[in-house]
Amino acid sequence: MNIHEYQAKNILSQYGITIPKGSVAYTPLEAKKVASKVSARGPWVLKAQIQSGARKKGYFLEEKTGRGGGVRTIKKRADIVKNAEQMLGSTLVTVQTGPKGKTVSRLYVEAYNNVEQSFYLGIAVDRVHSVLTLLAASTINEEITTLAINHPEKILRLPLTLEKKTNMAQVRQVMEFLHLPQKSSNSLKRLINGMHQLFLDFDAAMVEINPVGLLKNGTLIALDAKISFDDNALYRHKDILQLYDDYEATERELKAAKYKFGYSEFEGSVGCIVNGDGVALAVMDLLRKQEVGTACFLNVKGGVDKDKIISGIKIIMTNPRVEGILINILGGFLRCNLIAEGIVSAASEVGLNVPLVVRFEGTNKDEAKDILIKSKLPIIMADSTEDAVNCLVKAMEESE
Amino acid sequence: MSILIDSSTKAICQGVTGTQATFHVRKSLDYGTKFVGGVTPGKGGSMHLGLPVYNTVKEAVSETKANSSVMYVPAQFVKSAVIEAAEAELDLVVCIADSVPLKDMLEINSVLKGSKTKLIGPNTPGIITPGQARLGIFPENIHSAGNIGVVSRSSTLTYEAVIEISRAGMGQTTVVGLGDDMLIGIDFVDVIEKFHQDPETKAIVMIGQMGGMFEEVAADFYKSLKNPKPIIAFVAGSIIPFGHNMGYAGDIMTGGHISAQDKKDALNDAGIIVVDNINEIHLRLQEL
Repeated sequence: MNIHEYQAKNILSQYGITIPKGSVAYTPLEAKKVASKVSARGPWVLKAQIQSGARKKGYFLEEKTGRGGGVRTIKKRADIVKNAEQMLGSTLVTVQTGPKGKTVSRLYVEAYNNVEQSFYLGIAVDRVHSVLTLLAASTINEEITTLAINHPEKILRLPLTLEKKTNMAQVRQVMEFLHLPQKSSNSLKRLINGMHQLFLDFDAAMVEINPVGLLKNGTLIALDAKISFDDNALYRHKDILQLYDDYEATERELKAAKYKFGYSEFEGSVGCIVNGDGVALAVMDLLRKQEVGTACFLNVKGGVDKDKIISGIKIIMTNPRVEGILINILGGFLRCNLIAEGIVSAASEVGLNVPLVVRFEGTNKDEAKDILIKSKLPIIMADSTEDAVNCLVKAMEESE
Repeated sequence: MSILIDSSTKAICQGVTGTQATFHVRKSLDYGTKFVGGVTPGKGGSMHLGLPVYNTVKEAVSETKANSSVMYVPAQFVKSAVIEAAEAELDLVVCIADSVPLKDMLEINSVLKGSKTKLIGPNTPGIITPGQARLGIFPENIHSAGNIGVVSRSSTLTYEAVIEISRAGMGQTTVVGLGDDMLIGIDFVDVIEKFHQDPETKAIVMIGQMGGMFEEVAADFYKSLKNPKPIIAFVAGSIIPFGHNMGYAGDIMTGGHISAQDKKDALNDAGIIVVDNINEIHLRLQEL
């Protein structure tokens, strides 16, 4: 689960990390009001609160928004309302949002801080070695993403323990690596310590400050902040769940989340129901080879009952983009006959007006096929993943 | 021969009295797997599926000399169950549950580093040595004994790989599902090494997917092998879906190499046969 920048900064400040003075605004007037609260004379920074990185370099889809991106530094008080009007309610596209972009429902208004140096600091999980890792890099000359690809040696990686204890030797290593002045030592210790603690306290999946700024007096300040939480551990963090902003999710995504399905929407026309991310990816790859796009895929995962399956199928069937449905189930934990019963019930409830191809393999697949045959629904049965994709593409061409 | 499990494996099931466990342990028993007991705290002393039930893994091991375990416990209990199995010094633990919290997996793997216990999973269909033993949820009717080893990071595509081997008129030595959670126990390197040492295994089918660096590390390992057995690999996910990540840390961790294509290139460079379509595997197997 991701949260907004202002929510992440609020958590950072609870851990003693310095953040710029700031406040959230939902309307242009509110933006003007909070601006004078966070800084008497400016400059100010208006930051679109969508859950994406690279907002500054992003662009708005609407013409009224002018040339600025999703993060704007404002020098004159009079310009605050104008810019807030342009940004609020508009659609911001970044390299991370995809071409559809995300609607900006609120702004974060901050006091501008003049910094002498800035750098990247993050904590993430090294999957291959199964260790928590602190990442640090100077980003004065190059952005962190290009550094990662072109100069991985310019990124410091330090393993972190699972105990909340600051390793002073590591703090000194980061100091030297980033050439930070001695007067920043305590501030850096607080920063690393705070990020590490909150990562463990809240079961985070990633904590990132990009950039950290160095103020004249040596204090390090978090100019941006991203925190992702581990979805699988949210059950033990009810307080974090309250930060969830469903404004960014579609109704279908919310429904899918309720049933604990994996669900993602794209720009294409095929709706897929699968029981594993690997199968979903394999199907998408095959569809793309035939120049057909995926509208959405729903991963029903393992142990499900008939009612859940019906709900899942209805989510796919009610996506207006869907012009054909492919159900590819390789049953192990999941029994194919359950899916078959769900298909029949869902089809009779919402009607089946697009081609549907089903491929079953594994646990109880023969019972499943029988159920579909007896239903007399116009369902196409396929033998393999490739066959299923071919059958569906053909059926969609014929139904046009 | 086979790897990790065979007809002499003495297995217990943790969480044996649960619904899914009952369904799948019964199937495994029918398959011929040598189960010697089960563990459900509080139900010790009773019998289930004809097996004695114990309160703890230690007790089960000292009574039955079990060396392996398959667990069907829910995600939130996985950490304590795996650590309990490691403390009882089992050789192998198979964890079926998905959605185990990251922090729990970090703790589990740090405990396992200092122990002899190997973990398969979580979020895995398990492991099967056709005709001998099944620990997990594999649909047993698709498997047959033969000379091809299978190792896969994607649960359901494992079945697809097995079906491809049958289409080629061949069978499997052992099929290992590594699991497709963020963090897993044993990885490609561990399993490829075991297949490499197994005289029965003539070739390996490997299924990877985007995310993480598991395939790249496996490619490096494969390069270091003397007279390696042929590997046919498929990697799912040529399209990277948008909106799944918002930070950069994942990219930094992998040097920007997260796509399926990066992985295919790395495997190809190492001399592994890479197929673009999973249903091509049987053709490449026949060419070996």
